[in-house]
Amino acid sequence: MTLPRDPVALRVLVLLALEAAALVAASLLSPFFLQASTLPYLLQYVPVLGLLGMGQSLVMLAGGPGIDLSAGAILSLTGLAVAALATAGAGLPAACLLGLALGAALGALNGLLVAVLAIPSLMATLATLFVYGGLALAVTGGVPVTGVPAGFGWLGQGAVAGVPNSVLFVLAPVAAALHVMRTRTALGSHIVACGNDEAAARLLGIRVVAVRLGLYTLSGALAALGSLVLLSWFLAARPDAGAGFELLAVTVAVLGGTSILGGQGGIPGTLLAVLVVTTLQVGLQLANISPAWQLGAVGTLLLLGVGLNLRLERGGGGRG
Amino acid sequence: MRSLLDHLSRSPVAARAATLAVAIAVVGGGFGLASPYFLTANNLVQILRVSVDLAVVSAGMTMLVVMGGIDVGVGGILAVSAIVIGRAYQAGLPDLLVVPIGLGAGALLGALNGTLCGRLRVPPIIATLGTMYVWLAVMFLVIGGSWITGLPGTLAPLVNGSLFGVPSALLVILGVYAACGLLLNGIPLGRHLRAIGCDEQAARLAGIPVERVKLFAYAWLGLLAGFAALLYVARLRNVEINIGTTIALEAIAATVLGGASIRGGVGGLTGTLLGVLFIKMVQNGLVLVGVSSLWERVVIGGLLLLVLAAEGVGRLPFRRPRPALGGLAR
Repeated sequence: MTLPRDPVALRVLVLLALEAAALVAASLLSPFFLQASTLPYLLQYVPVLGLLGMGQSLVMLAGGPGIDLSAGAILSLTGLAVAALATAGAGLPAACLLGLALGAALGALNGLLVAVLAIPSLMATLATLFVYGGLALAVTGGVPVTGVPAGFGWLGQGAVAGVPNSVLFVLAPVAAALHVMRTRTALGSHIVACGNDEAAARLLGIRVVAVRLGLYTLSGALAALGSLVLLSWFLAARPDAGAGFELLAVTVAVLGGTSILGGQGGIPGTLLAVLVVTTLQVGLQLANISPAWQLGAVGTLLLLGVGLNLRLERGGGGRG
Repeated sequence: MRSLLDHLSRSPVAARAATLAVAIAVVGGGFGLASPYFLTANNLVQILRVSVDLAVVSAGMTMLVVMGGIDVGVGGILAVSAIVIGRAYQAGLPDLLVVPIGLGAGALLGALNGTLCGRLRVPPIIATLGTMYVWLAVMFLVIGGSWITGLPGTLAPLVNGSLFGVPSALLVILGVYAACGLLLNGIPLGRHLRAIGCDEQAARLAGIPVERVKLFAYAWLGLLAGFAALLYVARLRNVEINIGTTIALEAIAATVLGGASIRGGVGGLTGTLLGVLFIKMVQNGLVLVGVSSLWERVVIGGLLLLVLAAEGVGRLPFRRPRPALGGLAR
């Protein structure tokens, strides 16, 4: 059997194999896993991590090197804001739009720090992770905001033919749009160009700073979208809702084949990686195995993903 | 005076240390005015005592950052070391054995990071993030959501005691910083760390054993984390489930506040120590003034952001050679 030489296609194959392994492992671990009801349950967990992971992938793709550690904190903070607005009686559309705008603004601040002020992305978003996450805790005193109108549950709790609405009406269209943007538009090639060789991209007339600023803003907006899905699912906003998501988002991006140095990666790989991670998590959860194993599994996957990237990149002769 | 100003203007690290010293004096004075309890001998010694773990870890973090590396998972090393120490005590081992076991556990875990980042060339943030997950999992699995309690406090004098009227916490901190200062400034290793931080490729071409230096730097931070775990256990006599969760971020914040460049090559221990004291002073002062401790992270993150942004604005006039790999990739 010959393996495809195209690294993206090869990555998709590897991930499909991993997903198969995860499915086998999960069904061996728990007799409840192989039931018809598991699939919708599993899919329910996919959209939030999917949205964050796609934002993370695009930020990484544009190079720099870029990373957004604050996405989880943005999710926490915007969720609280929307919940507060909704319980205060603001209309749902208005509350959601304001939430998205807030997420985009927080993301734009990251972009300003990283792209315009040239602060290394790791440091800048670590600092904003502190500030955003700390604000979410401090403003609420650590207490969740509850009492969101039940009408808001349509997105997070409803389903069409077993597929959760949040997958059907949020994740799928957003993923499709981003995939088309990445593969079929000039902007998509510009993003990859920024990640491959910043100086060359600049000489070609690509506005590297603007591209990266836009992607951090997008990452913030996607995190806010994730917070809407979570809020609609639980009808409450926890101040630490996004804690841990930042690392998961990095994990799925890297596992999905996005190069930590930029220039390589795509939406399909990220989504498949989300599926692998979620399958493992749900499997361990159904088998009633300590959440600690989930942490360990995610850490191992992250290291595995990077190891895989390094091998493929060196083997493919892409970069030294 | 003139030569001092000269020195400060030429050395950004020294200038940052001086700025921090002034900031500590000003902010400390402010807290002193706001709360009668702040500027008491008891409280100041207390600040020193709670600073010990962070100070020890930050010293190692500074050396790592100077080398262009970073360890975002050092809290995991601290946690696992503390558990090893706790279990060793529970098994009835004497201090004479527990101390080397704790230090060894930390160094071993650090060396693993060093191997990943050095020989296997995994980007440090990813490698240390991944191992942190694994260590946290190990921790949860070993102690299963409960605390290890009732440990002997035979080492407590290291933190709580005093020698000739000098708080022992201060002596411990100064000892660790003297040792790290010797490594960083007294022997060729320090130059190697800086060289790798400035330009890894050039350092390699100059014949510096880059992989071995990296292995050492990560293992050294691990050893210091093991030491911090010993001090933690000595101070609190238990191992909590949330041990070490914020120490990596705080140590990075202290290092950067202290003037180290996250791009590598630049950094100093004096600045870092002042950064640690500043952070711990702010945490202590906020509580005394009556601000909820939940605001701590906002204040520390805000400070970090302020320093980073000031540096960024300083660089703005528009030439910024950006190293292709930055702090993240080495």
